Amino acid sequence: MKAFDIALNDLTRSFRSAFAIIFMFAIPLLVTGMFYLMFGNIAESDGFNLPRTKISIANMDAGGPKFQVNPKNIPGGRKAETMGDLIVSILESDEMADLIEISFVADPQAARAAVDSQQSQVAIIIPTDFSEQFADIEEGKAVIEFYQDPTLTIGPAIMKSIMNRFLQGMSGVKIAVDVFTDEADASQYMLTGQVVEQYLDLSLALSDDPEGELLDVRAPSGDQPSAAEESQNAMLGIVGPIMAGMMIFYAFFTGASTAQSILKEEEERTLPRLFTTPTPQATILTGKFLSVFLTVCMQVLVLLIAARLIFKIQWGDFLSVALAAAGIILSASSFGIFVNSFVKNTKQAGVLFGGVLTVTGMLGMISIFGMGSPGAARLGDTVSLLVPQGWAIRGLMQSMNGEPVGTVLVTALAMLVWSAAFFIVGVLRFNRRYV
Amino acid sequence: MNNMLAIEVLDLHKSFGETQAVQGVSFDVRQGEIFSLLGPNGAGKTTTISMLSCLLRPDAGDARVMGHSISTDAMGVKSVLGVVPQEIALYEDLSARENLTFWGKMYGLRGAGLKSRVDEVLDVIGLRDRAGERVGKYSGGMKRRVNIGLALLHKPKVIYMDEPTVGIDPQSRRNILDSVVALKDQGMTVLYTTHYMEESQELSDHIAIMDHGKMMACGTHEELVKLIGQQTRIDLSLNVEPSKILDVWRTIKGVSHISSEEERISVLVEDSNQVLPRLFEAAAHSSTRITSVEIREPNLEAVFLHLTGRALRD
Repeated sequence: MKAFDIALNDLTRSFRSAFAIIFMFAIPLLVTGMFYLMFGNIAESDGFNLPRTKISIANMDAGGPKFQVNPKNIPGGRKAETMGDLIVSILESDEMADLIEISFVADPQAARAAVDSQQSQVAIIIPTDFSEQFADIEEGKAVIEFYQDPTLTIGPAIMKSIMNRFLQGMSGVKIAVDVFTDEADASQYMLTGQVVEQYLDLSLALSDDPEGELLDVRAPSGDQPSAAEESQNAMLGIVGPIMAGMMIFYAFFTGASTAQSILKEEEERTLPRLFTTPTPQATILTGKFLSVFLTVCMQVLVLLIAARLIFKIQWGDFLSVALAAAGIILSASSFGIFVNSFVKNTKQAGVLFGGVLTVTGMLGMISIFGMGSPGAARLGDTVSLLVPQGWAIRGLMQSMNGEPVGTVLVTALAMLVWSAAFFIVGVLRFNRRYV
Repeated sequence: MNNMLAIEVLDLHKSFGETQAVQGVSFDVRQGEIFSLLGPNGAGKTTTISMLSCLLRPDAGDARVMGHSISTDAMGVKSVLGVVPQEIALYEDLSARENLTFWGKMYGLRGAGLKSRVDEVLDVIGLRDRAGERVGKYSGGMKRRVNIGLALLHKPKVIYMDEPTVGIDPQSRRNILDSVVALKDQGMTVLYTTHYMEESQELSDHIAIMDHGKMMACGTHEELVKLIGQQTRIDLSLNVEPSKILDVWRTIKGVSHISSEEERISVLVEDSNQVLPRLFEAAAHSSTRITSVEIREPNLEAVFLHLTGRALRD
């Protein structure tokens, strides 16, 4: 009971210190927040908005005898007299409005000039004989000129994606038109456009999310994440490990600085005074150790929850996170007791902590620093396991990556071994000093 | 006061490396009395108190506090003991009430009993109105009072007070001395260490004089003063460094002890009326001017000078 009283007293005093609160909670969240802002606050937005690609179209298509369209019969009420008109009408459709911004120019030179002067990002030039070449099933060669600003990537890539899809559809259209014109007489040629339009409508049909469909390099399906989710995941892939690293780095500092209260109380003479009360010295030390454990425990729990709420970091399933968190708490608090058992006073402790905790903390986080480079990451993974922080990060990352609970358990057990070793050495040394 | 012993100290020894901090100290303290350990800084008073509080293990010897041995029954000793350490030992980021409540728990108090006892102690130390303020905001005197209050929570039978008046203003000092007497009136036994002669003279039933880790003398004030007979102490100040004149004055008949500190000299004499003119005469012969003279009746400082050859202020 007295051990809990001592621990509670220490906790009360710790959490009354503004410095301790800032150190334990604010700094890890602030540092992570800086990275979060650096990589953009995509996760909080409703969707993923790209700027519209500006396109200049020079539609020179003069039509052809076999390509006649009755506007009344075209689905969607689009007006198209030539194959070029049909392409334009598709590009002008509502589905494309969020992606592209079209302006019409009189001739191919004007279209290219618009790109050269960066008024447009892409020029689409439909030649005069496009419909005619298209309708000539035997020898016709219908070609659209695609002219783009070479310094740009995303806008032209989207446009290329649309045009590729269109041209893939074209091969099917040609077969359909070929069959139709073989069997129809001249009076029915005016229906050719309608056949083409219907075919294109089917083959070009876009999903409800044309942005996601066009931007996703993989085949769209219901199980795949949206572009916004992909972007969010990519950002959390950076911010998550940083938050994990910050939390572990500062948890070890908290463990050391809370355990330092034993030295501080010795200097402030409250510890010797405690020893004059009818409280066994082992109970007093147990209370002190308990306060270290509880303080780190509160810090880790608050940071896990705060990071989940603020940065939407997915720590993994409950059991895995609980195992990883328990490992962090035990290793950070026992490491604090261990390090403090080697120092004589708070002055010495300040210097030692600055060195030991910074070096071991950095070593432990090597695997995070090396994430961008596979070779460095592999080396970092190995080196970081030389220090308890490395194991702590490993456990939490395993949980975040959704690895099996058994894998996390193995890491947590390794941390338990570290913790037991630190705790036994620390307790023996403190006992030798005080008991 | 009764004749039952509260504290029996038997030949305590304690060394730190080469330094012998306490060398064979023995004394008895009767229940209900105030017993002072008087001596300059470094005399071994705090080391003795630390051993009697079970904070330090004696190298040799033993002591019993209300029958509990400090060597074999530390918990028994601590349960009857309240300790007021020399340094203020409080949690400055907690209020006086929070400090008292925490330390009360350490003495085994709980619940309503603890709460009422905390209120009683706050009344005793006169801080009930400011009990909710953080101790760090208190004056030095107020902190001293809380420091004493913590030791009273469990109504100990014996209380150790290690130089409780060091570094505080006269008013707070007066309050503390009054509270020590009040503790005695409540039946507590007080072991009080100080290097202020007036305090031990005013408070104590018995006084032990310590120097260099040894017990020089022990007894009541009257018994100690008798050790030097009717000797009078003469304090003189000179206008020059006193080493030359000291050798001359030592040869004067009626001078029993001389000690000096910078330009001040303390002389123990049998009869100041006879010796004082001779001191002036010798000073004049050696061209030394006496700038001030103070004659003191026999007291503990004179006793200390007699026993150790140096003034207590050293």
